[in-house]
Amino acid sequence: MGLMKSHFGSHIGLSWKINNEGADIVSSDFPALTMASGPYNYSYIFKYIIIGDMGVGKSCLLHQFTEKKFMADCPHTIGVEFGTRIIEVSGQKIKLQIWDTAGQERFRAVTRSYYRGAAGALMVYDITRRSTYNHLSSWLTDARNLTNPNTVIFLIGNKCDLEAQRDVTYEEAKQFADENGLMFLECSAKTGENVEEAFLDTARKIYQNIQDGSLDLNAAESGVQHKPSTPRSALSTDQTQNKEGCSC
Amino acid sequence: MAEKETSDLLSSGSQPNNPLSRKLNKILETRLDNDKEMLEALKSLSTFFNENNLRTRRNLRSDIERRSLAINEEFVESFRVVKEQLDSVYADVKAVNECCQDMSSRLKAAKDQTQDLISQTTTLQAESQKLQLRSQVADAFLAKFQLKQEEIQILRGTRDGSLHPEFFSALARVKQIHNDCKVLLRTNHQTAGLEIMESMALHQESAYERLYRWTQSECRLLSGDSPDISNKLCQAVEAIQDRPVLFRYTLDEFGTARRTAIVRGFIDALTRGGPGGTPRPIELHSHDPLRYVGDMLAWLHQAVASEKEHVQTLLKKCKQTALMLTAVQDHVLDVLNHVTEGVCRPLKVRLEQVVVSEPGSVVLYKLANLMKFYQGTIGNIIQSSSALVCTIEEIQTLCLRMFFNTLSINAGRLLEKVELPPADLGPTTALTQSLQLLRDVLSSHDSSIVPLDARKTDFAQILSSIVDPLLQMCSVSASRLNTVDMATYMINCMYLIQNTLALYEFTDQRLEMLQAQIDAHVDTLLSEQAAFILNRTDLAHVYGIVQQHNPAQGPLSDIHGLDAITIKSAMARFDNYLASPDSYTLPQCSLLLSSKIRESVKKHSIELICHAYKQMYKSLFDESNNYTEPHTIVPRTPEQVQKLLA
Ligand SMILES: Nc1nc2c(ncn2[C@@H]2O[C@H](COP(=O)(O)OP(=O)(O)OP(=O)(O)O)[C@@H](O)[C@H]2O)c(=O)[nH]1
Ligand SMILES: [Mg+2]
Repeated sequence: MGLMKSHFGSHIGLSWKINNEGADIVSSDFPALTMASGPYNYSYIFKYIIIGDMGVGKSCLLHQFTEKKFMADCPHTIGVEFGTRIIEVSGQKIKLQIWDTAGQERFRAVTRSYYRGAAGALMVYDITRRSTYNHLSSWLTDARNLTNPNTVIFLIGNKCDLEAQRDVTYEEAKQFADENGLMFLECSAKTGENVEEAFLDTARKIYQNIQDGSLDLNAAESGVQHKPSTPRSALSTDQTQNKEGCSC
Repeated sequence: MAEKETSDLLSSGSQPNNPLSRKLNKILETRLDNDKEMLEALKSLSTFFNENNLRTRRNLRSDIERRSLAINEEFVESFRVVKEQLDSVYADVKAVNECCQDMSSRLKAAKDQTQDLISQTTTLQAESQKLQLRSQVADAFLAKFQLKQEEIQILRGTRDGSLHPEFFSALARVKQIHNDCKVLLRTNHQTAGLEIMESMALHQESAYERLYRWTQSECRLLSGDSPDISNKLCQAVEAIQDRPVLFRYTLDEFGTARRTAIVRGFIDALTRGGPGGTPRPIELHSHDPLRYVGDMLAWLHQAVASEKEHVQTLLKKCKQTALMLTAVQDHVLDVLNHVTEGVCRPLKVRLEQVVVSEPGSVVLYKLANLMKFYQGTIGNIIQSSSALVCTIEEIQTLCLRMFFNTLSINAGRLLEKVELPPADLGPTTALTQSLQLLRDVLSSHDSSIVPLDARKTDFAQILSSIVDPLLQMCSVSASRLNTVDMATYMINCMYLIQNTLALYEFTDQRLEMLQAQIDAHVDTLLSEQAAFILNRTDLAHVYGIVQQHNPAQGPLSDIHGLDAITIKSAMARFDNYLASPDSYTLPQCSLLLSSKIRESVKKHSIELICHAYKQMYKSLFDESNNYTEPHTIVPRTPEQVQKLLA
């Protein structure tokens, strides 16, 4: 659990850095303008979970995404860990709240409880270990059963830097992804290849779902939380309970 | 030279007192060409003395006198003009002088008059310069120690209670001025310092009050799912840090709002679930205790993590200051304690319900582990002394107690109706069932999500709660058996327990203890086995005496029952045993479940037999025992016997 703690601290540190950048825009004489440039640090919070067999590199992917570093000797995750980062999609600042689950079987019962209300699920296998690919259908079943119908599921074939040890072809996995309607990329937490893309593409897809109304933000556990600083009109449906006229 | 010679000659040669000579001398001495006056006079004389005659010579004197008079008259006449002119000049100069004197005196008067004015002007000028400097100082002072009108306006705020964007810089100014006054107090401007300080203190007080009211109402709005913490609010919280009491109240207000939010969110997740029922309400799974409890605690874990981020966002601008007695990090934890307090009740009620619903030992144990896991996981985010973590801990303790309770009830039942051992001396159904329970508990123990050392502490208790009563039960049920049956039965039971435990961690000590107990029973069994063989071959009596024999008692062959004939016939029976040793095995030994123990009993009992044979053999060959031809009585050497039995 010590790991969990350290993770926690560092991620928050990062997101604060970004927050502070955002904060510099404010303090204008015109409240309206302040509103427009965003008195808040982000407009949305998206919740992600990362799932997959132990050792496929889930924690490394998260670390690469939040810290832009590769953690070569990452210990097994105990239970669930947590990381955040603020990204931008279509000019909107979005805070990703990412839950990295333990792949070890004994934690399955625990990690299943974290699927609830995830807007995005990153399902990871290791391209050098076929068994981790073979287990995908069981992970997918869990993901489908325990999340919303419109949760975006993104398949990641990790460790693509180890081409020589490849055990699962790109084509095969791509076909699996297509058959199951998943987005798919091969990534490397080590080199960072495609890592950014996987997390951002997922966010773009979620954002698109919000835009075309297929994701109802009003729902308590949609995995997306919205800040009232952006004009709602572009977005879906009835947001009456919003405190639009925040007194600042 | 010549003149001198002449004068010398004259003086020496003549009488000096003679007037004529003197006259003559005088004339002689006269040097006319050298006497300029004379020459001039003569020249002048020649201009008017044209005729040298007596009359003229007689008149010469008067002529000259007349002439002199005329000249003088002319001279006088000329001088009179000069004098008249001089007189006029004199008069003029005198007038000028008078004029000048008048002017000078006038000037002097004027000077006397203006001196005062000038010195007055100079003083005034100096004073004016001094005043100008003072005015500059005063302006600078005012700029430094006074608020601008608009700043006062900003601090006063508007009627609707909103804060001007410049509010914080104005507040900072007031604070700065108030601080700077301390410098004034150290100089000789104490009065000014005190006055300004007082007025700034007033401004500050009212500004802080206004700020607090604004912050308070902002915080009250933060009870939504995701609070909208504006940068302005963060700034406000930072500013209000200077008033620890107000700061405390603000954090309380924020905590209360979030507490409401998290309770509502929790209840919604429990009872309403997501949109259109996905994800489903957590309570829908209340029939599955592990999932139900796991979902609740996972939801809380995530909520707590989010809340921590919210609090950190709120306090992101705050720094450690002298006024703040606790570090920002501690405030974060304080607020989190407050925020998470609200969910304790709904959580506790539900957890208790699950625990007391008798879900069975294994589930209780798993639940206790799950709660222990979350106690640690959530305790890493908020203080482990917080109400939420304490609540989880409390129920975890209850759950564990309930678990051990079921184990002891189970143990009580075992000892209440002890079954008799079955005919095959194998495990009773109670034992088999209990071992299954032990396996179930230990497997969930083994795959536990709780860290190793936490698991270790439960372990001794689990083992003593299950294994000790089992062993007790076995002993009780074996109590009416004969020695061999008892040893066999106990070995079998303990062997099964050992087998079960061997699969799990932390059992080494137990296994060792069981092994020692098994060994003791095996010892009993193998000596019984050896005795059985000796009895069946009628050698028991012989061996008994040989063992106790003392040479002082006389030769063995004299002792009853140890005569050569009796021994010989016993040895013949022993030969039969050697021919088919297996048929001399105790029936109970073949009921031993462990083939290893079976082999061990056999092997060690043979060793005992060989040892006994060797001792008897030696005694028969001992001459003091008076056996004639002992090799006819015991034809086989101990080595041969050992080989045959091997
Ligand atoms: N070469 C290579 N190694 C990787 C990559 N990603 C992860 N690894 C290695 O794989 C091992 C496991 O990575 P983790 O991130 O701990 O795996 P995990 O999925 O989080 O495992 P659990 O926490 O047990 O579920 C680590 O030793 C990493 O060094 C990658 O992209 N390339
Ligand atoms: Mg991991």
